[in-house]
Amino acid sequence: MRTLDWIVLIASLVFVVAYGMYRGRNSDTTEKYLLAGKSMPWYAMALSIMATQASAITFISTTGQAYVDGMRFIQFYFGLPIAMVLISMTAVPIFHRAGVYTAYEYLEKRFDAKTRTLVSIVFLISRGLAVGVALYAPAIVLTVIFGWPDQWTTLIMGVMVLIYTVQGGIAAVTWTDFQQMLIMMVGLVVALFMAVWLLPADVSFLDAVSLAGAAGRLNAVVTTFDWNDRYNIWSGLLAGTFLYLAYFGTDQSQVQRFLTGKSIAQSRLSLLFNAVAKLPMQFVILFTGAMVFVFYTFTPPPVTFNAKERQEMQREGDFAAFSGQHSAAWEQRRQAARSYMANPTEEAATAFRDANNNLQATRRKTQSNDANYVFLTFVTQHLPAGFVGLVMAAIFAAAMSTISAEVNSLATVSVIDVYKRYVRRGADDKHYLRASQAFTAFWCGYAILTARYGAGLGSLIEAVNQLGSLFYSCMLGVFVLAFYFPRVTANGAFVGVLVGEAAIFATNWFTDVAYLWYNVIGGVVVIAVALIVSAFEKPKMLPAD
Amino acid sequence: MSDIAPDEPPPFLRTWARVYTAVLLYLVVVIALLYAFTTVFNR
Repeated sequence: MRTLDWIVLIASLVFVVAYGMYRGRNSDTTEKYLLAGKSMPWYAMALSIMATQASAITFISTTGQAYVDGMRFIQFYFGLPIAMVLISMTAVPIFHRAGVYTAYEYLEKRFDAKTRTLVSIVFLISRGLAVGVALYAPAIVLTVIFGWPDQWTTLIMGVMVLIYTVQGGIAAVTWTDFQQMLIMMVGLVVALFMAVWLLPADVSFLDAVSLAGAAGRLNAVVTTFDWNDRYNIWSGLLAGTFLYLAYFGTDQSQVQRFLTGKSIAQSRLSLLFNAVAKLPMQFVILFTGAMVFVFYTFTPPPVTFNAKERQEMQREGDFAAFSGQHSAAWEQRRQAARSYMANPTEEAATAFRDANNNLQATRRKTQSNDANYVFLTFVTQHLPAGFVGLVMAAIFAAAMSTISAEVNSLATVSVIDVYKRYVRRGADDKHYLRASQAFTAFWCGYAILTARYGAGLGSLIEAVNQLGSLFYSCMLGVFVLAFYFPRVTANGAFVGVLVGEAAIFATNWFTDVAYLWYNVIGGVVVIAVALIVSAFEKPKMLPAD
Repeated sequence: MSDIAPDEPPPFLRTWARVYTAVLLYLVVVIALLYAFTTVFNR
């Protein structure tokens, strides 16, 4: 990082923290602190929802995934617009009219206290585990690339989030998310532009697209069905819909965003904006990864993008021989690419693919998964001064927007569903405001302390999604029961969640079914068990709406 | 808790049902475009 990069990075971070504190200065009641006084316009909620979901991992790992595996990861998002429509139709008006602070509060109104508490605890466990990973993921990559100690990176990010989140609550979180999303968009466009701009002068944009396609990196839609294949159109549309219904409809870190809306219409618009904008945004991120692949077709890549591993290899005796072998394989691929550009026949494409496979096989001989390091290596080694700082600011923004939202939602559930419900009932508003601030500080500290346990998780984006899939389906199942099955009893829902969670863990331990399908399996088990148990009980009379 | 405003019509297309339909049609178009993109460029 050069001086100009540091100036851009530090200025953007200071601005975000100061802006968050300014926006959150009036959060002097519990309702203002946790729901922003229900005053948020749709565009602030929309970008906040988007920023919360787009973590630093999205930038770092998704681009690397496109580099290694192509663009098929985009199918993971096919279910998102369907889920947004269903949530806008059902969950948004129900939660708004119920006048709740958390999604789980509604479960006590519909079922009973034990179901609310069980689901709240499931949320606290799953989100509590994820918040450390969200903080750790960018830290470990920055450590490898820059040599920054991960303890310091997690501490700095955690403390910056703590400052504005504790002081300003959700108003600060939402408005900083808004700014952070704008920074991310600029960073993203700059990264894509530079990946194309830095190609050799005689390689046109169309040549680059054609080469990425010839190497199988533009596989945006895969129509073959396979239970064990994570990303195809069917898993994206069906299992993806379940995942996003669970994430946006039952995860407090997202529900809380649209509960701050001025009206049902404003909340719906914020979700529908995401339904429209998410796929193009993911396309740009993945396409950037594909263009970085083409860039490294003409510029020699390191033997591994993981700098730490590279240093270890250099200490070992056979590095020179391996490096020579790698260079020869890369040169062969470069020449095959040139031949394909000169004469783009099927034979030339096959030769390019074979040369690429040969290079990948060479790289696989000594390296582990280095997908998480591809994008940052490209940014730090090839982008001009100032642009590196901008992309780093975007990565920090992505990390902080996700962590602040998670910490804020964890604090809200801790206060509303646990502390206020069981520990201290009937205290005045000032007390709950102070409790909310204290819990926010606690969860920030927890995130910083647990961040270091994220090591060894392989592809970080997949680790986070897999973790969510272990818990989301049961949360979705119980809310589907609450919304659509009036005859289901509280005991039925409670037992359904317990059995559903057991079914998910059994699937995880004993089968190879791709994790996206957990969202379907768990949801179906929860609903089926709840219906069976409820058949033997008298239904609870629902309160008048 | 402050009162929530009653359900309002959307700022465009007049009814929410039409807005939802438009979003789902958009999804169909995006998937079709991505499929065409894959078919044309990915070999």
